[in-house]
Amino acid sequence: MMLPDTLKEQALAGAALLDKELQEQAKQQSPHASNGLSAVRDAGRVALAEQVFPDKKVEQWKYTSLLALQNGHLKALADKTSSTVSAPDFGGVTLTIINGRLPALLPEIDGVTFSQEAVDQSAQAESVFSHYNAATLRAALTIKVAKGTHVAEPLHLIIISESDSPASAAVRLHIEAADNSTFTVIEHYVGSGPTLCSSTTSLYAGANSNVQHYRLQSETPESLHIGELSIHQQRDSRVASYQLMQANTLRRNNVRVWMNESGADLVMRGVFIARNKTHVDNQICIEHAAPHCTSDQIFKGIAGESGKAVFNGRIHIHPGAKGSDAKLSNKNLLLSNGAEIDSKPELEIYNDDVKCAHGTTVGQMDSQQQFYLQSRGISAEAAKRMLGVGFINELLMALPNERVAEWARDWLSASL
Amino acid sequence: MLEVKDLHASVAGKDILKGLSLHIKPGEVHAIMGPNGSGKSTLSNVLAGRDGYEITSGEALFNGVSVADMLPEERARAGIFLAFQYPVEIPGVSNMEFLKSSMEAIYTARGQEPLDAVTLLRKAREVCKLVDLDQQFLKRGVNEGFSGGEKKRNEIMQMLLLEPRLALLDETDSGLDIDALQVVAKGVNSLRSPERSIVLVTHYQRLLDYIVPDFVHVLAGGRIIKSGGKELAHELEDKGYSWLEGHDA
Repeated sequence: MMLPDTLKEQALAGAALLDKELQEQAKQQSPHASNGLSAVRDAGRVALAEQVFPDKKVEQWKYTSLLALQNGHLKALADKTSSTVSAPDFGGVTLTIINGRLPALLPEIDGVTFSQEAVDQSAQAESVFSHYNAATLRAALTIKVAKGTHVAEPLHLIIISESDSPASAAVRLHIEAADNSTFTVIEHYVGSGPTLCSSTTSLYAGANSNVQHYRLQSETPESLHIGELSIHQQRDSRVASYQLMQANTLRRNNVRVWMNESGADLVMRGVFIARNKTHVDNQICIEHAAPHCTSDQIFKGIAGESGKAVFNGRIHIHPGAKGSDAKLSNKNLLLSNGAEIDSKPELEIYNDDVKCAHGTTVGQMDSQQQFYLQSRGISAEAAKRMLGVGFINELLMALPNERVAEWARDWLSASL
Repeated sequence: MLEVKDLHASVAGKDILKGLSLHIKPGEVHAIMGPNGSGKSTLSNVLAGRDGYEITSGEALFNGVSVADMLPEERARAGIFLAFQYPVEIPGVSNMEFLKSSMEAIYTARGQEPLDAVTLLRKAREVCKLVDLDQQFLKRGVNEGFSGGEKKRNEIMQMLLLEPRLALLDETDSGLDIDALQVVAKGVNSLRSPERSIVLVTHYQRLLDYIVPDFVHVLAGGRIIKSGGKELAHELEDKGYSWLEGHDA
């Protein structure tokens, strides 16, 4: 059987397994115990049955193989209900999700409501994995920040995926920051074992809202993560999204930002590091669908040994989106000859009145900088690490949350 | 301290040094002068161990050990310091962090207890003051956005902090105005001691008005063609390098 067919069969098996488990649970408890997700799961299964898993002939999957999934991650469910995996404390309110299960008690923050409501995201499905995510959801988390609410402390979501054998865990987050609100959310993905985390996050920034968003992915190298992030911006909203990640067996992020109304402003920063045999693939698309919106993206990548990183940055300026200002920079550093970074900017502009700047580079360690450090007694190895950290430091220093910045610096330097 | 014997060296396959010999004892200050392309910078880079600068024959011994067998960082830890002609900018690595790593490596190699963070910062501030460098530069990226003069003063600042046994100053005076030159000279002079040797590689005699050398050597065509006392520098200034053309020491 060809890999796409095998994966589909396994994905459907995984979805059926969850369905069976939940039905049995429902029988034991009252019939009303269902958390309202069954319709979402059913729709996910139906859609999944009609989908084809991509192979390398599909342009968006040209550099990323799904071969690592053939070990059966899709057909089994990560079943641990508690975890020893720890996550750093960034202050604020913490909510921990283990293998797709929400805690019994959701936190309380003034002006913020937490619920298990599943918001239909099928319209924005980026790939077959969106449907897999829907079909294998144990829970969904919806967070709504009320109009005009200013939440000073960050909400820290710790999302743990953990299993001893290949298995998957799905998580779905829906965050709405209503008009004139201020909110900071940290999505922190951690975990261990050969677990596939299937994540879907949608973030809505209301008119004149101010949202800081962190997406930290520090699962262990043997883990896998296929994630989708969509950001929807209303009039004059300001979103800053910081995406820091370490590559693993297979890491893929599909990110799409919709600038739906005029005056929206987006700052996006990202760091990805792929060492040894790890893989990371970021597919970013910014939809400038309204006039006078600004987007400013800087991503920096490092790959060493036989690590592989892929970056695709698409900027789509729609007809009528006059006065759009879009910037994209992706700079990459190769630490060794066996490493690979494929970086591609894509511009699609249907308008004359725009400012668009993009640049991608892939370079090696600067031998003059290295010699300078060595000539001051610093070993070649330490010099390389210093230069690697120096390369991404500009972005880390600019992180508004100092506790995240400090932790990220230690975390990322440890892999350099 | 430093014994260079009939040194031949090439850069990218091109022979630059063609039989250079030099003997430097502890406490001495030597000036090496010469026209552009004479091999002055090559000598500094060969001694510091820059990639691509290859010793093809002869030897350079630092305290009796051939530098050819040492990595650049080992040379630095043994006490060789090169003040670069063109210090490189390293954005993202703060000057202070860089000084800390460097100091730790060098102090440890010397068998000295590395300075704690507070002492290091105090000492770094002192030497910054000595070379008239604003303390804010300690927080900035290494040489990042520094002017030419600030970069040179940053080199001297590092030198004062690391207290090398052999300091090689590669055209540190080039491009400096007279005030900056005096500041640099003051820094270098403060380092003079009976245990320490200094090599001033320079194109101009002017520096030697402020740092008076014990010996002056003229380098041309990859060899030292004339050596003398400090008066040789003045003679060169008056007569120009053409005076020595075709001359053999």
